[in-house]
Amino acid sequence: MGLTILLGVFFACVFFGIPVAFAMGLAALSAFWYEGFPLLITFQRTISGISVFSLLAIPFFVFAGELMLHGGIAVRLVRFASTLVGHVRGGLASVNIFSSMLFGGISGSAIADISALGSLLIPVMKERGYRPDYAVNVTVTSSIAGIVIPPSHNMIIFAIAAGGGISISKLFLAGVIPGILMCTCLAVAAYVLARRHGYPAEPFPGLKAVAISAAAALPGLVTAVIIVGGVLSGVFTVTESGAFGAIYALLLTAFVYRTLDWKAFVTAVTSAVRTTAMVMILIGFASSFAYLLALYQVPEILGNTLLGISDNPIIILLMINIILLMLGMIMDMAALLLICTPIFLPIAKSIGMDPTQFGIMMLINLGLGLCTPPVGTCLFVGCAVGKIKIEQSLKTIWPFYLALLLALILVTYVPAFSLWLPSLVG
Amino acid sequence: KDLRGWNIHVEDYPVSHGMEAFLAEVTEKTDGAIKGKVFHGGVLGSQPDAIEQVRLGAIDFGVFSLGPMGQVVPEANVVSLPFIFKSVPDMYRLMDGEAGAALSAGLEAKGIKALGYYDAGARSFYNSIKPINTPADVEGMKVRVMNNDLFVGMIESMGGNATPMAFAEVFQSLKTGVVDGAENNPPSYESTNHFEVAKYYSLSQHLIIPECLCMSKRTWDSLTPEQQAIVAEAGKNSTDLQRKLWQEREAASMKVVMDGGVQVNEIADKSAFQDAMKPVYDQFLNASPELADLVALFQAN
Amino acid sequence: MSTERQDARRHPIILLQDALSNLCVFVCSIMLVVLIATFGWLVFGRYVLNVTPTWVEQLALLLICYITLLGAGVGIHENSHLGVTMFRDAMPQPVQKVVLLLSDIILAAFGAVMFVASIELFNFGWSTLLPMLNIPESFRTLSSVMCGGLLFFFCGLRAALRFSDMFRSTSFIQDLEEAI
Ligand code: NA
Ligand code: NA
Repeated sequence: MGLTILLGVFFACVFFGIPVAFAMGLAALSAFWYEGFPLLITFQRTISGISVFSLLAIPFFVFAGELMLHGGIAVRLVRFASTLVGHVRGGLASVNIFSSMLFGGISGSAIADISALGSLLIPVMKERGYRPDYAVNVTVTSSIAGIVIPPSHNMIIFAIAAGGGISISKLFLAGVIPGILMCTCLAVAAYVLARRHGYPAEPFPGLKAVAISAAAALPGLVTAVIIVGGVLSGVFTVTESGAFGAIYALLLTAFVYRTLDWKAFVTAVTSAVRTTAMVMILIGFASSFAYLLALYQVPEILGNTLLGISDNPIIILLMINIILLMLGMIMDMAALLLICTPIFLPIAKSIGMDPTQFGIMMLINLGLGLCTPPVGTCLFVGCAVGKIKIEQSLKTIWPFYLALLLALILVTYVPAFSLWLPSLVG
Repeated sequence: KDLRGWNIHVEDYPVSHGMEAFLAEVTEKTDGAIKGKVFHGGVLGSQPDAIEQVRLGAIDFGVFSLGPMGQVVPEANVVSLPFIFKSVPDMYRLMDGEAGAALSAGLEAKGIKALGYYDAGARSFYNSIKPINTPADVEGMKVRVMNNDLFVGMIESMGGNATPMAFAEVFQSLKTGVVDGAENNPPSYESTNHFEVAKYYSLSQHLIIPECLCMSKRTWDSLTPEQQAIVAEAGKNSTDLQRKLWQEREAASMKVVMDGGVQVNEIADKSAFQDAMKPVYDQFLNASPELADLVALFQAN
Repeated sequence: MSTERQDARRHPIILLQDALSNLCVFVCSIMLVVLIATFGWLVFGRYVLNVTPTWVEQLALLLICYITLLGAGVGIHENSHLGVTMFRDAMPQPVQKVVLLLSDIILAAFGAVMFVASIELFNFGWSTLLPMLNIPESFRTLSSVMCGGLLFFFCGLRAALRFSDMFRSTSFIQDLEEAI
């Protein structure tokens, strides 16, 4: 009965448009009330869900991303990408994907990715005769790769949801090849479509131009090197690396590029605050919600059910992926990471899957959910930036879904994609 | 009555077996009038949260380390003083006697009924640089400690660089040199794999912090006197069982780390360490003079 | 729907809410900058001075609570939280208005409970100290009290405005009956 109340209130609230974070809070509050707990437990869980040390990396990553966006680093990265890969057929699509790899690699936030790269590239693509839906679809799906390429605050959320036994630096390393794999799959899809539509290639500007744009972009790329390198070398913890990345981006854009004025700084700080609060309140209420899921032993029940259907690892992973894809359609990434990791990770472990590989699989899977309706934050932002209707994008997005699904399948069933690189470093 | 039990450890751990035995005995002797479930692995929250929930009656019983308990119950800080117990048997004797009773009274005043004091072993230093034989060996070393002024003070009074850090980050930090060392009991040293990256284990046994099997005072008060007697008895029995299991586990862990190539060294004379702790004690008693009697009670025996 | 919002925007109550929301963003922004600066100091202390400032971690955990919970209140005011609005958007206009009113009432009630329960938690935590900072835990719980208050204030007044708007137009009930 208690579980029915928990889930019933949650889905009812979501259905009527109450923000997901508060839907979780309301559901938890109702269930605590039903169980005769003191109501203040709801908020005790929320507060302690927020004040977790490793989560402090999130505001830092988000702030670093905002600084890159408003401080002129993103522009330089795109310029570098277009001199380097603009000359293939449908060149601007490749530029778009490659930029996502570079920029998403740093901001770790798909939404920042889309608003930054989308607002730079989509208008240019439209101007050169690309269909708007094609431009939006490339931007939206390629941003998903940024979630998997380190650093990524969603990796931190996963590590926390997994209970702390997973090393962040291993996750960082594990994401590199799957991220490149995703971009490759997308680039192939984009290339095939570009040939069919007869999209142009940009002229190759010459090696000198590549070198010049690379030199301009390099200091911006160092932000990622600081964050990832700081973690891997062990000079800093993840949180400190995030803080240093942000400080570096601040100094670079303010004093070296001199593109960050006071107004841009204020914009960066205030939007970092808004994004941080949005993500963290979700995490806070999710931890009240997760407390009750644990109390009702949902992980055990669901695990036994799944293992009762089949004990074939291939089938079990397929079922987990399908469940996650369906949940990803209706819910956002951070909440699902927090709720589903404790449920599915033990099952994955029991069939011999490495937790790190499982994490990358989950990130790709839930990333796909970010560009599917009805709840697809990235899709929404992309369509808003490209000024098209969501239906318009959905008609032609399926080749890109297929590309991401292919990457998901490969990462799910071939451990080497995620585990080979970490094994080299040991 | 359906009890909810909180436990931070995994299902197969001395504490966990102790709690299950406690619950089973209570259920059996009350003919099923009191039953419940132990939630292992900290699924119901971290220790500070769970302590709060026990006080509020949301969780009925749990096993808590007296270290973090000090933030709530000042008396509990006394057992976090380095070298307050000379050895583990010394800890058993004191905690089962007058000193332990005084501590239990402090817990009870905060809504926590102590039913027995479990063994959590003795914490010793480990690091990746060299064996520690004298306080001077700690000088300049970056040592991870738990979040507590006493432990920070302990390292600082030996000239080390105390670094409070989330437990989950310690392995990576040891491996990469963010910290040089940490300190813990043998089973934790082994199960966290810290022994793979910090090969020197020096048996300083500086901290012997027992864990407390506690019941929420609200739950306790809701029981009949007969049920209370049953619960208290079951608490004692589970304490005996847990201590025995702990000793076995500790021996097994020591074997694993020694087979793993760890260099373990005894510290023959700990008096230099004990002397170095003088400032820690002074500072502690300065900050909480009301605990002087309790400290004396622990030291007198 | 957008015109309804624009009309509501001009209301003095909304202007007051805007001011409060902006104040929260301002406070949170300063906290974020402090957060980053103290972490710089942490690393400097550990590597250069070889004395780790032990209070940074706990202070950061305190600040993040305020950034999150005050920011969440702002998000409610600015309607920027993630949610599924497609089902609501598919409903007929008058029904949408009722759903929006009910959502605001529910959120306001949630805010009220959060406010009261967090005050209880605030009183309860007075004797528990935050490690290293040695200030009562209540200083952290206060952020939750504030969030509850903000929710109640933002959603409660918005619900009242919606309610008065609704029944100022006499045709509303008729429209609603037709829609159902
Ligand atoms: Na990333
Ligand atoms: Na979706």
